[in-house]
Amino acid sequence: MNETVTGAENGGLSREQLTELRESLAELRTEIETRFSVRRDGRESGRVRPDLLSRGLRAGLDKLGVSGAYSGLRRMLSAYSTDQRSLEVDEFGLDPFYLERARVLLDFLYDRWWRVKVAGAENLPAEGRVLFVANRSGVLPYDGLMIAHAVERSHPSHQRPRFLAADWIGTLPFSQPLLARLGGVRACPENAERLLRGGHWVVTFPEGQKGALKPFRERYRLQRFARGGFVSLALRLDATIVPVGVVGAEEVHPVLFHPTLPRRLLGFPLPVTPTFPLAGPLGLVPLPSQWRIRFGQPLRADDLMRGRANDALYVNQVRDEIRNTIQSLLEEEVHRRSSVFRS
Amino acid sequence: MAQRLLDAPAAPRLVGFDLSVPRSLDGRLRFHRVDLTEPTADSMLAEILDKERCDAVLHAAFFTDPRPQQECAHELEVIGSLNVMNAAAAAGVRKLVVTSTAQVYGPQPDNPNFLTESHPLRAPPRAHAIRDRAEMEGLLGVFAGRHPEISVTSLRPCWVMGPNYASSVTRHFESARVTTLLGFDPLMQFLHEEDLLDAVELALERDVPGPINLAGDGVLPLSTLIRLAGKRTWPWPHPLLYRLGYLPAVGRTGDPPEAFYDYLRFLWVVDTDRAKRELGFRPDYTTKEAWMSFVVSRRLRRYR
Repeated sequence: MNETVTGAENGGLSREQLTELRESLAELRTEIETRFSVRRDGRESGRVRPDLLSRGLRAGLDKLGVSGAYSGLRRMLSAYSTDQRSLEVDEFGLDPFYLERARVLLDFLYDRWWRVKVAGAENLPAEGRVLFVANRSGVLPYDGLMIAHAVERSHPSHQRPRFLAADWIGTLPFSQPLLARLGGVRACPENAERLLRGGHWVVTFPEGQKGALKPFRERYRLQRFARGGFVSLALRLDATIVPVGVVGAEEVHPVLFHPTLPRRLLGFPLPVTPTFPLAGPLGLVPLPSQWRIRFGQPLRADDLMRGRANDALYVNQVRDEIRNTIQSLLEEEVHRRSSVFRS
Repeated sequence: MAQRLLDAPAAPRLVGFDLSVPRSLDGRLRFHRVDLTEPTADSMLAEILDKERCDAVLHAAFFTDPRPQQECAHELEVIGSLNVMNAAAAAGVRKLVVTSTAQVYGPQPDNPNFLTESHPLRAPPRAHAIRDRAEMEGLLGVFAGRHPEISVTSLRPCWVMGPNYASSVTRHFESARVTTLLGFDPLMQFLHEEDLLDAVELALERDVPGPINLAGDGVLPLSTLIRLAGKRTWPWPHPLLYRLGYLPAVGRTGDPPEAFYDYLRFLWVVDTDRAKRELGFRPDYTTKEAWMSFVVSRRLRRYR
């Protein structure tokens, strides 16, 4: 019994048929691309050129603002439910087509809702492996999305970094697939290493959950940087570390206090904000604070001692230096900002 | 199934073992009837292996699906495997290849996106079938440490799809409305059945000791796969499904429903870097192609 017979008999494809099918499919694809002049190279560049509809919508957004965001939100939700998305994702689940649709909403949040101002864009390295290290704030991972947006817009290569997100996101329904499609990846050293090796830029938040859930009175005070794993990773992989200070995300969901009982019962944190359990689902709407994202001086791997990735004391020393840098970035930016909400 | 593949190169002398004599038996295959759960199975097997001067042993005597009879399954999967290991050591076999599964890593919310072979095995504690397999892997590790002269390979394939392969997993995906968990859409990987046989053949040819992950290239979200197949989903809120599904699941497999549904909830994608680098494994089918070959074959089957 050979495999060709088995394949044909059971309606499957034999190897010869498979290669034939693949070739004809590739031909078909080039045919479609040339005839309709669409190129959707989701795999290579991670970006899709916006189609006409989305361009039209974006023009509408400029005029209407809120209604544009509403339709963006509706489009995003409809994309989620009716499966209007691409049939290829990258290995971490980013869906270029989906991201393009969500961009309407992200643009609205970036330009109108939070009015993000970027400083220090000249500090972004031109190329190579880059690890952004930022302060974590605002319960939900808006800061990662906005940093990715800021880098994509202000860097000439328009590369969109991937951001790392907390574990508990994965245990909640809806949030995990949503985040994965928008470019979020679960925060763990294995993922960060694979992303960096794969040529992605990575945004990491060494404060972790402690930063996201810290009470409002401790805003803009950095929590501990747990193990300094990001330093040894950057040393091993020759990545440039860019410290990032994000001001404004702390006021998005000001945490009044954080009870432990629901957390123990549900398995994920449930902080109390002025609006959250009180206003129901409306409490999930982030407050429209004014944001500033500031990129600090990059720390190149050449400036550090590469051979000392396993030297815990040296790693911790670098870690604390970076922590101090981000803290001072934050303090400068907080002073520079005149009002929390008004621009 | 592996026998069929091994017939093709027509190189080594093959010796087959099973509980019962297979219906179709190739003349080139020398067949012995062995019950691995018998207390004397190890010495009996060692005797035969010695007499036939066997070089390599492929141990694939596992249940494809979880069985309701947990003790019986444990007896075969763990004790039976132990018998095979002991017999292989006693008969001076040079190589032992075991077909395990990538499910032993367990679906966990805090898994990294790609599980490497060194990742701890964190199978769901109440899934007896996976737990037995993980226990077997543990014994295999100890065995490999004790017998450095034997090259011990355990293959860990992800879910296998294809026109011929049938398991509880393929049965789950066969229905027109596939039960899923509301709000969960993990990235999935599949391996085509022929690629699995290729990998087994490669593992027998080359010496690559240790565990090896096997999967087709590429990952796709579960919902995209179901949509590609033209099926519809039946999304259930997971607390409800875990409670309602309890009775039928226990009746069918002896496992609580989360033993299976967690695999549709959390990520358990494996990194096949080692298989490619050291084993030289090149899957012919990507995840999508393996899935489509499964879907197409099942669809045609309806019209025969």
